[in-house]
Order: sequence, then structure tokens, then C-alpha cells
Amino acid sequence: MALLFVTLLLVPAITAQEPATAWDDEHSFSWEYDFQTGYISTSPLFTGEQLLVRTSGNDEPAVTAFDLAGDTIWHHSNIASTNNDMSPLLSVQAGQGQCGSWPDMVLVGWTSGLVEALAPSNGTVLWSTQSEVIGWGVTGQLALDGEFVVIPTRQGVGQYCLADGQQQWWTETGLGWRNGVTVDELGYFVGDELGHLWHVDRTGNATSHALQLGKIRHAPLVTQAGILIHAQAVAGSTIAVFDPLNTTLLQQIPAGSSPAIPSVRGEYVVTGDSSNLRMLHCTSLCNVIDMTPFHTNGEIAWFDDGQILAPSNLPESTWGIFSIHDQENLTYSSIDVGLYGYGTAAPIQFSVGLTTFTVFGNDQSIIRVFSNIEEVETSSLEEFDWGTQGLIFMIFILLGSSCAFLLSGKREWFLRTSSLLALILVLLIFPDLSSQWSKSFDEQFPEKSSLEEWNEQWPDEWLGTQIVIFEINGVEHSIGGFVGHDDVFSLTQAACKELEIELTSDLTGIGWYVESIDGIEGKGWEFSVDGSKGIISADNSIVGATSIVRWTPA
Amino acid sequence: MFQAMGVHGPALSPLASVLLDVVLLGCAFWLLAKPTKRPIFDSLFMATLVLSVSLIRVVMQPIPNVQPVTVAALLVGAQLGARRGAAFAVLVAMISNFFMGDGWWTVFQAAGWASIAIAGSRLSLVTSTGFNLGRACMASIFAAFWFDFIVSFSILDGNIGFTEFIVYLGHGLPFDFLHMIGNLTFAIWLGGWFTRLLEEEPSLEEIEFTVVNSHGIDG
Repeated sequence: MALLFVTLLLVPAITAQEPATAWDDEHSFSWEYDFQTGYISTSPLFTGEQLLVRTSGNDEPAVTAFDLAGDTIWHHSNIASTNNDMSPLLSVQAGQGQCGSWPDMVLVGWTSGLVEALAPSNGTVLWSTQSEVIGWGVTGQLALDGEFVVIPTRQGVGQYCLADGQQQWWTETGLGWRNGVTVDELGYFVGDELGHLWHVDRTGNATSHALQLGKIRHAPLVTQAGILIHAQAVAGSTIAVFDPLNTTLLQQIPAGSSPAIPSVRGEYVVTGDSSNLRMLHCTSLCNVIDMTPFHTNGEIAWFDDGQILAPSNLPESTWGIFSIHDQENLTYSSIDVGLYGYGTAAPIQFSVGLTTFTVFGNDQSIIRVFSNIEEVETSSLEEFDWGTQGLIFMIFILLGSSCAFLLSGKREWFLRTSSLLALILVLLIFPDLSSQWSKSFDEQFPEKSSLEEWNEQWPDEWLGTQIVIFEINGVEHSIGGFVGHDDVFSLTQAACKELEIELTSDLTGIGWYVESIDGIEGKGWEFSVDGSKGIISADNSIVGATSIVRWTPA
Repeated sequence: MFQAMGVHGPALSPLASVLLDVVLLGCAFWLLAKPTKRPIFDSLFMATLVLSVSLIRVVMQPIPNVQPVTVAALLVGAQLGARRGAAFAVLVAMISNFFMGDGWWTVFQAAGWASIAIAGSRLSLVTSTGFNLGRACMASIFAAFWFDFIVSFSILDGNIGFTEFIVYLGHGLPFDFLHMIGNLTFAIWLGGWFTRLLEEEPSLEEIEFTVVNSHGIDG
């Protein structure tokens, strides 16, 4: 009987054990979810403390929200979307414009032509709009432009109000597939299946440029050299740079078949195809710095630490991790995350507190979540805080004493021990209590502000990303292009790393206090998020997908 | 607390800071400028009291919003009167902030604790039967919220609207709660002892007067 009992106790431990892989050396497996059917073709999205995953190619194409423990929060399906959904989920931060105001949303484009705005907290449909279906509906990446969302439909581009989904205009272009749209100061760029690069201005006037290089199946990239596209031909592909002002092709670089969706970060562009992954440096021209053999045909993730992760789209394949050294050498290694087979969805990485999560999903329809093992170890060491342990010991002593004094009728000593017990208990729970309270309070009473505006001098790659501005000695230092940061502190750390600015901070009972930036302490530092002054600690202040954080000396 | 939160209120120039300190110090001396029978003893006692409580505040700085000064101001007001209680509050705010960070908020902290000291002098926390613990507990609970409310005004710098201010107050409620629990603990543990410490011992002249007076009645 005892043996049976011990065996039963061991069952959860056995099932929770994971096979050791190279990836496990650096990251620990947190949880996984098996959708059983369908494909995960696009990158998951982390927003509002929830992880959103879209699945398609099955009976019930859907978006499913999980909490960080892996529990399902909500599930929203669209059975009319019968093809593989390849339009990435798009997070939208609350705001207001001439059409009205809108809360935090997630925009979902379906192959049924439907575009829905969902509430991240519960999946409620806030608005929806129907676009044309010619075999397929929406398959490309949507883009934000101020108070509008620009939707690449099956055969056109439309501008819609974020507040209510009201169509401002729609312009016919070519038949598109995975035809993401890009926003820049000139308007919008989108490609089509006939190899036309379309430019649509903000009033809806479209101009096409027949590049005759092949199908354009990604959102064109805005670089300093020009508009970069990776066109898919019958055999092979071409990486091309187009000058939109003079409407000329500046460069053509031959590449392998079935291009992936290229990704830009600052002056660097990464492209992929069935043969190689290439790193290009784009200033006045785009030059291939290095390339490495790798078969990838979908999304490519570029993490804040500079590492690039891409799914290999082969049977029994895994993921590739790439980094660039000395700005000229691309290094590659394969990582085993326990998911094998075809895949086109880029992994995502985000930080919550001190823990960094990385999420993978592929055509196996399984999502796997990993957390940074180094930080987990650090926090586990930090968890053994002698001060806290001492307080817990005192709690037991005080609890026992309070009971004894109460029973013996010693009122004064009962009050003393019980009040001290209450104080220690509140102090122990206070960091979490104040953090949760602030978050709940912010959700109940969201601040409306849009004082911080887009600076026209900023590079277009920063559009739709998180941006940080430091005011140091009266000079503004701006950096953008960040994605996935959940709080001001995490975003600020990434920005300082990127700008090579020294940041010193101290963990207090109410959160992280920024002591100095670039060696300047002064009378402290203040921050604002989208123009709203920060009133709680930086790590407890939430940022949206397109937030602008400004740090100023007090 | 404010620095940790990234909220400071208006920044003061060095000249403005000096002027502020001079005004606060002037207020404290004006409040203390009252003839006493034992000027040296009273001054030394007040100085010791102010320095001790300031030191305790500085030492307890790492614990968020547990403020021993609040209960101290309440009891000093109750035992030594409104003037000396308010002077005590102003001096403690100034001296402790010299170590913890001086600024616009010092005025509001001084005002908050001074008002609590004045309230303490009116609430009969010490009666002929001794320290009234129940009343002191109630007063210390109210004092926590009152002080935090007063100090919250220091963030108003012309850029913060009414709604933002209310949101700021809402965010601070857990801190107010912690302040309240801290006050209760101080009042229960140290209220009686601190009250006795502040009890003014009668001078020889007063004892003699009382004795003679009582003999006169007997006679």
C-alpha cells in the first residue's frame, strides 16, 4: 500500500520531466500546449499579460489566449476561415483620434476576409470589418498608421479607423498573398503576386511599379538604401532595392528559392530562403555581410539581445539561432526546443519581471514556452533572503505568542504581538500587493494621453515599435525598434544597452528605482509613457506595443 | 518614497531650497519661542527628542512608508502642546530630509506632521488616568491617511490635473494602509512608554507651591 502511495506521488514528477537538449542548457522548459489539430503559422503575441496564439488549417481556426502558467483564458474562433491564416496578430495600444477612442486591442485578419478587433483581456469582438475574398481573404501583415489600421486585403489596400473599424478608403491593387503592408512617410507599400510593388498615398491613390522579379510575399522593408523586397521567382529569388522617388531598381541580389519574410533592424536586414540566411547592411546601398546555409521560408524573429531566431521549414527540423559578430560574421547554431518538423512561425521573447520567456510554435500545432534558466537560478538564490527567512521565523513566534496571550487574557500583550504580526505580514506581501493594486487600478482607470508624438526624424523602422527617449544634459537620445517589452524598466534596460548608456538601479520595496542614467544621478529620474507621467515604479508601469517612454532628470 | 516612484513635484533651485529651509526653521523657532521655567533643560530635551526621532526615521527609510514620526508627532502634541508639537514636526522633517533628500515635499511633510501634532494636543490622548490607548490607535489610523493626503499635494506642479491627482491618490492606497498598520504598531508598543517619557516633571518651585497650597487648605 505504501509502495503504491509513493508511486502515485512520483507520477507528476515523471510526466513533468523533459528530455535534455542543447536549448535546455540555457533555458528551462516552462509549459506546453497541444492544440491537437491545425498549424501555428504566425508568431504568438504577448500583450496585456497574456500570450495569444493563432491556429488555422483545421475545423476551428482560432486565437487562443493563455496566462503565463499555460492556462487558457479565452478562445475565439472563426470557422469561416478555411485556409491557413498567415496574417500575424497585431497588438494596438489604446488611444484616440478623430474617429473616436479605442482601448487596447488585438487585430486579427482572417482568410475569410474578416478583420476583427479583439479585447486582449477576454477576446470580445470590439469591431469587425469584411474585406473581399477571392479564394483567400486577408493573409498579409496589417500595419498601424496613427489612428488608422492599414489592411492589405486580397486585392487591395484599405485604411480603417482603429476606433470602430470604419473604412476610410479602399484601393484596388494586385492579387496578393502574404502581402504585408509597410507604412512610411510617403504612404504605404505593398507587393502582389504579379511582382508589382504598389505605392498607395494616404488618400488612397495607388501607383504600381512592375519590378518583374517575381511574387512579393512580404511587407516591403524601408531601408536607408531604398525599399527592400525579396521577390520569389519560379526558380530562385531576388533581393532587390527600389528607389521610390526615382522609381528605379537600384540593386538586385540573387538568392535561393521560396523566400522567407525579411526583417529589418536599424541598418541591418536579414533575409532567408530555402538555401541560406543572409545578413545585409543597408546604408546608401545594401551589402550582403555574410550568409549561412539554412532553410527558412517564414517569419524571422530578431530579439532585443541581437540574436536572430528562425524556424527551419523542413521535416524533422528545428530552429536556427544566429548572431552577428564584429558586424561582419554571422554565426549559426541549431537549437532543439523539443518541436520538430515544418514551421514558419517566428518565436517571440518577452520579459515579465526578471524572467525572460521564449515561445515557440510550429506546424505540429504545439506551443512550447521556455524561461531563462540563468535568471531563474538568480531569483531562486535571491529568494533565500535571510531577512525574509528571519521575518517568517518571527511570524511563527508572534503568531504563537498572540494566541497564548489571547487565551491567557493578557490584552495588552495580545495587541502588541498581533499588531507586530500584522505589520510583518503586510510588509512581506506589500511588493506584490502594491504592484497588483496599481495594475488593477490602471486597468480600471486607463489614462488617456497622446502628448508624446512621432518625430518625423526618426527612422521608419521604428514605426509601430516601442521607443525610448533620454534627455541627458538637454540633449535627446532616442532609440526605437523594440518589441515585446511589457514594462518601462525592461524597455529602458534594452534601450540603454542599445545606446550603450550606463543604467544603475536599485530594487526597493516598491519596485526598481532608477538611480542614474549615463552616470547622472542628479535629483533622480522621472519617466513618462506616451506623455503620461509615471506614478509608480518603472517595473510596475506597463508599456504598450507602440509606447514612447521618455526619461527626464527630476 | 517619491524618488522611488519617480514623482517629485516641482524642482527647486538652490536659492529656493535655502529660502524654504530658512522659512521652516523660522517657523520652528517662532513656535518654540515661549518663555519656560527651565529654558536650557527644555531646549536640550527638545533637541534630543528631535534628533532621536529623525535618526529613527532615517534608519527606517528602507521600510516603505512605515513612519514612526507620525505617532511621535501625535504624542508630542498630546504631551507638550500644539506649539512644541508643531515645532518638533517641522524640525524632524527638516533634519531627516537633510539625509533622505530635501525638496518641495519637505514643506508638505512638515505641514502634515505639524497638523497631526496640533490634532494630538486637542484629542485628550493622555488623561488623568494615563495614556488612552484606544483613542491613540484611532488617532494614529486617521493620522496615516491625513499625512499621506497632505504630502500628496507636493506632486502638483501645474502639469498634473485633477483626474491624475485622484489616480495618484488611488495608487497610493496600499502605502496608506501600510502607514496605518505601522502607526498602530508604534502606538501599541511604544505609545505608553513615549508618553511617560514626555511627561513634564514638576520643578522644585512647583512642588513647593503644591505642598504649601495643600497645607494651607488643610490648615
